[in-house]
Amino acid sequence: MRWSLFAVAPALVAGPALAPQFAYATTYLTVEQAQQAIFPGAKLQRMIVVLGEGQKKAIEERSGLRVRVAELEVWKAADGSLFLVDEVLGKHELITYAVGISAAGVLRQVEILDYREKQGGEIRSPEWRAQFVGKTAAAPLKLDQDIRNISGATLSCRHVADGIKRLLATADVLLK
Amino acid sequence: MSCSSSLRRARPLLGTLVEIRAEGGDGLAAALDAAFAEIEACQAYLSAHQPTSDVRRLAATSPGVTLAVNERTWEVLSLALEFAAASDGIFDPTIAPRLAAAAYLPAELAGGEGDWRDLELLPEHRLRLRRPLAVDLGGIAKGYAVDRAVDVLLAHGVAAGCVNAGGDLRLFGSEAETIHLRHPADPTRLLPVGKLADGACATSAPYFARRQSGGRSLSPLVDPRDGSLLPDFDSVTVIAARCVHADALTKVALLLGDAAGPLLARYGAQALRVDPAGRIIALPAAGFIASSPVPSPVPCRLPSRVATGD
Repeated sequence: MRWSLFAVAPALVAGPALAPQFAYATTYLTVEQAQQAIFPGAKLQRMIVVLGEGQKKAIEERSGLRVRVAELEVWKAADGSLFLVDEVLGKHELITYAVGISAAGVLRQVEILDYREKQGGEIRSPEWRAQFVGKTAAAPLKLDQDIRNISGATLSCRHVADGIKRLLATADVLLK
Repeated sequence: MSCSSSLRRARPLLGTLVEIRAEGGDGLAAALDAAFAEIEACQAYLSAHQPTSDVRRLAATSPGVTLAVNERTWEVLSLALEFAAASDGIFDPTIAPRLAAAAYLPAELAGGEGDWRDLELLPEHRLRLRRPLAVDLGGIAKGYAVDRAVDVLLAHGVAAGCVNAGGDLRLFGSEAETIHLRHPADPTRLLPVGKLADGACATSAPYFARRQSGGRSLSPLVDPRDGSLLPDFDSVTVIAARCVHADALTKVALLLGDAAGPLLARYGAQALRVDPAGRIIALPAAGFIASSPVPSPVPCRLPSRVATGD
């Protein structure tokens, strides 16, 4: 192990800090890359599914979570497996992730696509979120590449866990 | 170092986001999958939240009965007992009933009056309880899982990389990289604190876990000396060669303060306390230092078994 602690004149602390747009943000996978990671070699067919009132209610009953969006983009493999993409908001973070679910309704894999943190909260601000529309790994956001290793206390993944529960219930309803 | 190839993936595991970065070597995708599979295995055996885990089986075991557990469970318990003995119970894996009573852990872990001395480890990955007890490996299992995942990546011939389980991280490879800590007053503000190569770093801080109770802010950390939940505390980070040591030592450094010095020295570790103003206090002391966006690295004083400087 080699470890060297930075030492800096305390005077610098009082100086005004430039507020960066991003505290931290990473793109791990595009939607296409996540499809290949979860269903290697499979041909996936894209579908737009609009959930009916009865389906929404069934998903909410099964997962105990609210369904906010009725229109879903779903990809289906030849064997009936499903691939879904979802986005969850935490207090400080916005996480996009993808799941693969087998035809029997069993969770196959979860991959995080994007992780973004916003400084000082206001993660729900439409202006801030609008920056990500249409951004992919091919046209990535400008990020501070030096920030790679953050040792911060555990960020709870409850929102992602809830999201997965909702998607499993959704798949259950769609696979029926 | 050439790193023509590089992969970075994240999955929700261990109750947080686990990120794995791998550089240099063939078959990086297979190496990453295997490393994630190892973390899933650790979670399956060590999690207090999974009803089929060894932690839950142990809580349901009567005193005197011999219980066979997975090799991972046995290893992490033996490390936990090593820290409990070395810290005279300041690190205590048997505070689960207190956390269950505060609803931080499932009710199945609420029973038992035993402490860490009542847990007997036997050969061939078996164990026995002297009194009923429940363990929570939340203070050590993430670090252990990170070390196991790094071992898997190294076995796959990966040259360099990092496994980061929600802030408990270990870097491997020859290049030193900057470590950032979260500012306790605004966790999305990042403080660069130093450069680390081939080592681990873990942080305990209340900013993402605290809750309000009777006008007070309480954390999911128990002081084994009186069973109380700790009120708000400064963020504490430990740098050590192995992540399991860094993870366990954060709790010791948090509860003992300066008195944790000898134990930190024994593991060749350094603790960094970040106060609400973002000031960093190092133990062993490397002077009172502060963070800045343009840091200048200086070697800090560490025990001789740790080489310092780039």
